Amino acid sequence: MIRCLILMTALAGTLLAQATYKAPRTWNNQPDLQGIWQARTNANDSVEPHTAVLGMSAGAGVIVDPPDGKIPYRPDAMAKRNANFKNRATADPVGKCWMPGVPRMTYLPFPLQIFQSANYILVASEFVHNYRTIYINGTKHLPGVDFYNGDSRGRWEGDTLVVDVAGFNDQTWFDRSGNHHSDDLHVVERYTRTAEDVLSYEATIEDPKTFTRPWKIALPLYLHKEPNFRLLEYECHAYLEDAIKDGSK
Amino acid sequence: MNKWLASSALAVLATVALMVAQEPPAQQDPPKEGGKGGKGGKGGKGGFGGGAAKAKAPAGPFTRLPDGHPDMQGFWNAANNGGAVFEVQNHPIAKRGVGAGKGAVVDPPDGFIPYQPWAKQKAAELFESHMDQEPELHCFQSGVPHQNFVQFGFQITQTAAHMVMAWEFMHSYRIIPTDGRPHIAEGIHLFQGDSVGHWEGDTLVVDTTNSNDKTWMDTSGNFKSDKVHVVERLSPVDANTINYEATIDDATVYTRPWKIAYQFTKVLTPNYEQMEFGCIEGNQDVTHYTEDVGGKSKVVIKPPAGKE
Amino acid sequence: MKLKITLAVSSALALAAMPVLAHHSFAAEYDSSKSVTIKGKFVKIDWVNPHSWIWVEVTGADGKTATWRAEALPPNGLYRQGWTKNSLKAGEEITITGFLAKDGDNLMWSSSVVNGEGRRMFAGSAEGPGAPPAPKQ
Repeated sequence: MIRCLILMTALAGTLLAQATYKAPRTWNNQPDLQGIWQARTNANDSVEPHTAVLGMSAGAGVIVDPPDGKIPYRPDAMAKRNANFKNRATADPVGKCWMPGVPRMTYLPFPLQIFQSANYILVASEFVHNYRTIYINGTKHLPGVDFYNGDSRGRWEGDTLVVDVAGFNDQTWFDRSGNHHSDDLHVVERYTRTAEDVLSYEATIEDPKTFTRPWKIALPLYLHKEPNFRLLEYECHAYLEDAIKDGSK
Repeated sequence: MNKWLASSALAVLATVALMVAQEPPAQQDPPKEGGKGGKGGKGGKGGFGGGAAKAKAPAGPFTRLPDGHPDMQGFWNAANNGGAVFEVQNHPIAKRGVGAGKGAVVDPPDGFIPYQPWAKQKAAELFESHMDQEPELHCFQSGVPHQNFVQFGFQITQTAAHMVMAWEFMHSYRIIPTDGRPHIAEGIHLFQGDSVGHWEGDTLVVDTTNSNDKTWMDTSGNFKSDKVHVVERLSPVDANTINYEATIDDATVYTRPWKIAYQFTKVLTPNYEQMEFGCIEGNQDVTHYTEDVGGKSKVVIKPPAGKE
Repeated sequence: MKLKITLAVSSALALAAMPVLAHHSFAAEYDSSKSVTIKGKFVKIDWVNPHSWIWVEVTGADGKTATWRAEALPPNGLYRQGWTKNSLKAGEEITITGFLAKDGDNLMWSSSVVNGEGRRMFAGSAEGPGAPPAPKQ
């Protein structure tokens, strides 16, 4: 009986420890989210639930709201998505080596590295050496900009980094399947380190020109633990140019 | 007919960066949008690649990070280094619209790269006839050390294990680990090379290998091979100044190692921010590069359809 | 076709707001001795690197319209001069001053733009080719 109790307490203690993981602090006394992270989901293929096709595995998608996992498109926007899907082999901006935007940059199949400084957080992606600067110094969005990655302003809520992203153009997709948005896109991200090697990522997406209501994605990012792991390069446009020159594209 | 402006156009902006850093634009009517523009307020107003350098109070000493090393963080101006971004060598004669300048080469003392004869010829030929290979034209990153002196300036971030340099121009970055790790494996070639850094006193020494041969030292045909080895030294002088030098070594191209040197100067504009810069997304240059400015290539590269 | 443009030859430019070295591209493409001013309806701006493009529909005295393209600073440069994506409205009457292209029709380099309400915004370089003045220390 007592041994049983001890075991139960130990188990509870472990569960509690996992539930209440607290990230260590950076030099600037912020929760430390630094490291090289990468998503394992294939949301970059499609953020919605999808069956496999040749070259692309099946996936449950990453949409947690609405509960059916499907993007709540307005009818005209749905038609555009379907057209995008048909043309995706040539129309996908990431296929043209363009900046992928937010949130897609987060779940590309490439590593992401986070650096934290007093007034901003820098997120660097191996894909086309893209990076975002998330200002956490109380400054406001830049007015009237039209960025691929949007303009990011963040703040801490406890141990969660909350980032408000606006000032997007309409030239990025959410995935390879043609899921799109207008330049009214507004994204709110939440980053929480829930374990030493897990960064929980959520994003609420709204765009009244495209969707009937906001929707939300969630996925874990995993820490790269290979020794001396570092970002290399994927200079997409250099390879694309070579492929065009040698006729393979 | 859409006559492009080649990557040299990007180089035009380098000079703008130089000029405006010293001379703010003449006062125009203040912009209308909520009065937020044009006053050095939020959003990085204040010119290109840095702020206007006003009358100077002497800068204070540099501060230190929690680990005791110098804090070099902040925004740094596009380089004022004798026009090296166009031509890194001494260039006493204006040519093709580029004014004379001393460049940034300090060793050899005459300011010329100590090329092997074949390489000197190749560099001249590239400038005369093959500007279609100019890396910026293709939205390639600038490599080491050229990246350090491109237009629009850069931002330094320091953490316990890394020093990161991030440029507005083409959103390039260099991530330099300072945790003592070795270089990556020999067979990997990168536009920015592979950099590892360590401190010698208050100087950050950065060792770069694993470059590819697709970047130039400038925009004038001073090419490199993938054997190049670069050692840079960043020595903060005060809160607003860093002495920078780079020794470039490649026995397959040069007769001996050579060196560039100049200073990084801090952006003094309050609330300065870098902005997004898309290159390939709107890059008109590649299809439009003609023979008019020395590009004799017959290769026509059709990039994917541009922005609608 | 007569276009409503003003051609003036000027050597010393009054607007030395942003002295810019013309790299060979400028010198190859534009004629710094051929100052030009166009007035017409703003169509759109391509906010692209290395240079933005301002499209304007200019109506001549004969009633025929021509589409002009005026090359301007890249997006980050325009933004730092106070432009936003909403600075000009489609159909707005604007005036662009700059330099004529050597080759090609209805093509120019922008120096400045005056919008429908008379506000001037800087859009490009004001100088032509030549060595830049030495930067002040």
